[in-house]
Amino acid sequence: MTSTDRSADLAAAGLDGQNKTALGRLLGTGSIGHAEKGSDGVMRATVRIPEDELIWEPSILVFPEGGEVELTLINDDKNTHCAVLPHNGDPKIIWLVNHSKGTARLSLSGPGTYYYGSTTGNDEGRGLTGALVFGGEVPDHAKQDRPPQPRP
Amino acid sequence: MTDYVDAGEAVPHKTLSATRGQAPATSEVNYERIRNARSEPQNWLTYYGTYDGQRHSGLDQINKDTVKRLTPAWVFQAGMNGLHSGASTYSFEASPLVVEGVMYVSGPDGKVWAIDAVTGEELWRYKYASPYDVSLCCGNVNRGVAVGHGKVYMYTLNAHLIALDAQTGDLVWDVVNGDVRAGESGTVAPLLVKDMVVVGSSGGEFGLRGHMDAFDAQSGERRWRNYTIPKPGEPGAETWPDDGEAWQRGGANCWVTCTYDPDLELLYQGTGNPAPDFDGGVREGDNLYTDSVIAVDVNTGTIQWHYQFTPHDLWDYDSTMENLLFDAPDGRKLLAHADKNGYFFVIDRTNGELVRVFPFVDRITWGEITPDGKVTPKVYPDEEGVPVHFWPGPAGGKEWTHMCFNPSTGLIYVPVQEVGATATRRRREFKESIPYWGAGVAVDLDDFYGYVAAIDPVSGEEKWRWNNEYPMCASTLSTSGGLVFQGTPTGEFVALDADTGEKLWSFQCGSGHHSSPSTYEVNGRQYVAAPTGWGGWVEGFLPGLLGAAAGDALFVFALPES
Repeated sequence: MTSTDRSADLAAAGLDGQNKTALGRLLGTGSIGHAEKGSDGVMRATVRIPEDELIWEPSILVFPEGGEVELTLINDDKNTHCAVLPHNGDPKIIWLVNHSKGTARLSLSGPGTYYYGSTTGNDEGRGLTGALVFGGEVPDHAKQDRPPQPRP
Repeated sequence: MTDYVDAGEAVPHKTLSATRGQAPATSEVNYERIRNARSEPQNWLTYYGTYDGQRHSGLDQINKDTVKRLTPAWVFQAGMNGLHSGASTYSFEASPLVVEGVMYVSGPDGKVWAIDAVTGEELWRYKYASPYDVSLCCGNVNRGVAVGHGKVYMYTLNAHLIALDAQTGDLVWDVVNGDVRAGESGTVAPLLVKDMVVVGSSGGEFGLRGHMDAFDAQSGERRWRNYTIPKPGEPGAETWPDDGEAWQRGGANCWVTCTYDPDLELLYQGTGNPAPDFDGGVREGDNLYTDSVIAVDVNTGTIQWHYQFTPHDLWDYDSTMENLLFDAPDGRKLLAHADKNGYFFVIDRTNGELVRVFPFVDRITWGEITPDGKVTPKVYPDEEGVPVHFWPGPAGGKEWTHMCFNPSTGLIYVPVQEVGATATRRRREFKESIPYWGAGVAVDLDDFYGYVAAIDPVSGEEKWRWNNEYPMCASTLSTSGGLVFQGTPTGEFVALDADTGEKLWSFQCGSGHHSSPSTYEVNGRQYVAAPTGWGGWVEGFLPGLLGAAAGDALFVFALPES
């Protein structure tokens, strides 16, 4: 049996939550969100940890291009977590006690995908690993001097 | 529900570590100083130690008599955190630089450190965030940094050239120089020459058009770019099909640091394999300037001459490895190159004329090169779906890891790999960012061995060899103590007698070596630094040890102080 409804498939397989089929939540199975670019050029988004789900929601954040990012991180869980996030220069860390809210200002190059997670216990393995996906192209001066090539 | 607890703002990870965030000021490192680096053996100022690529140090405190007392002085652990690119293929492949007691070294995953070269204390760190999904043919690795003009330069996995403040590690500038959507990456150690920084492209398995680039060392402005695959109408274009698109994705990447002759003002850059690696049917011709040494005018970036080691390569025989510069007893200016194809070349570095070519490995079946340089292919993937076995395998008789030259013995010490492979041609269409090999390849899981060969480049004679059960996959290091240092795939770091090849000392580092050790001196004490780690492209050069321990530690050795 096949289905095009990914959410229904995950639910049917027991892969969309904690301690169902698997022990934890399968990575990358949360929702997809999109950052908004402000008039100051900063791309902003909010992620939160719902109660007892051990997941960043949305778990995949899409940014139009590389650049400056401001994330709001909210812990709605009744346990303590943290986030170690990629950043050019050094990763950034924020400690998120129960029912807390903070921010992370990041500078990241695009295109490309980066992962971040709660680096305590095995939060990362249980589901608290999120993706920051940056689209776009490299600037013209960094491209190959050749005609356009086929892509997959 | 009450208001949220204020978690504040995320802070740099390093603020929760013991790193100082500050390195002591050193005196200015500039072109003249690097040009004369041999006169200050207490420092290791540039990738090969000197521009000529000899990887020889004049230090002799650690010598044939004292080496038996050599012991670890300190160990530095790179460490990994979270999900990172090349999750199983990271290793410490750099050559550490040292300036007046401060070590500057890069590790996997975009990391750079300044380290107290005496104590191993971390002075500052910088980590460039590397995309998890960047194309990496050969692992999450970086071969080192350049230091000068108060800055530290690194080429990142996603092909950004960055300059850091040498005292603080803070970013000074960041220039995008490659197209990650085309499968391009950056792994090379930059070379600081004159007032420029020179780098080259990585991505030889993704059908790029290879290039080397020079940047203003102060501003990051690009001075020149030299494509190593000519466009139609340019010199060398006649070696590509004139009715096709093969040149557009022809390869010839420049992923190993070039050597340099300051008098001739020529950079000697080895170039990589053509693409697709094993399917020559879509790129008839010699395919210049793949698998070549190109002599490049440092001021203009133009190619002055070239010598191609493997015309129309069908075996993935990159020639990116070093071109070691030395002068013959009669004063002739030469360069030496031990190629993947198993032959050792000696070339007049003023004009590219072949002086001598001879095999330096035991088993060569792909073809033959006569003493006058005539190349005859014999065994190669040709018919679709038919497996073909050949020696040396795609990692070559010698990989990118470097040989060294001792001016006193006149010998070049070559790390040799005896590993074969089977390739089966499988034609495929080209698509950006997808590997473009044109074959299925399996490197031999048994019937391999290795050795360090001491070769007289003037006569071509092999004076001695130190045999090892496993191939030699790390760079050799020569010192005036009469020693040759060599790391092994099984973790031993050994010191050999430069005159006889006798093993005089060994230390087990716990993980294989695939890097370039260096040596330096601080306060009258000599140290030898050996990065370790087993992960990057093991499937290519020694899959028989794919199950060996990973690791990413930097070991530094010295004689006991008392």
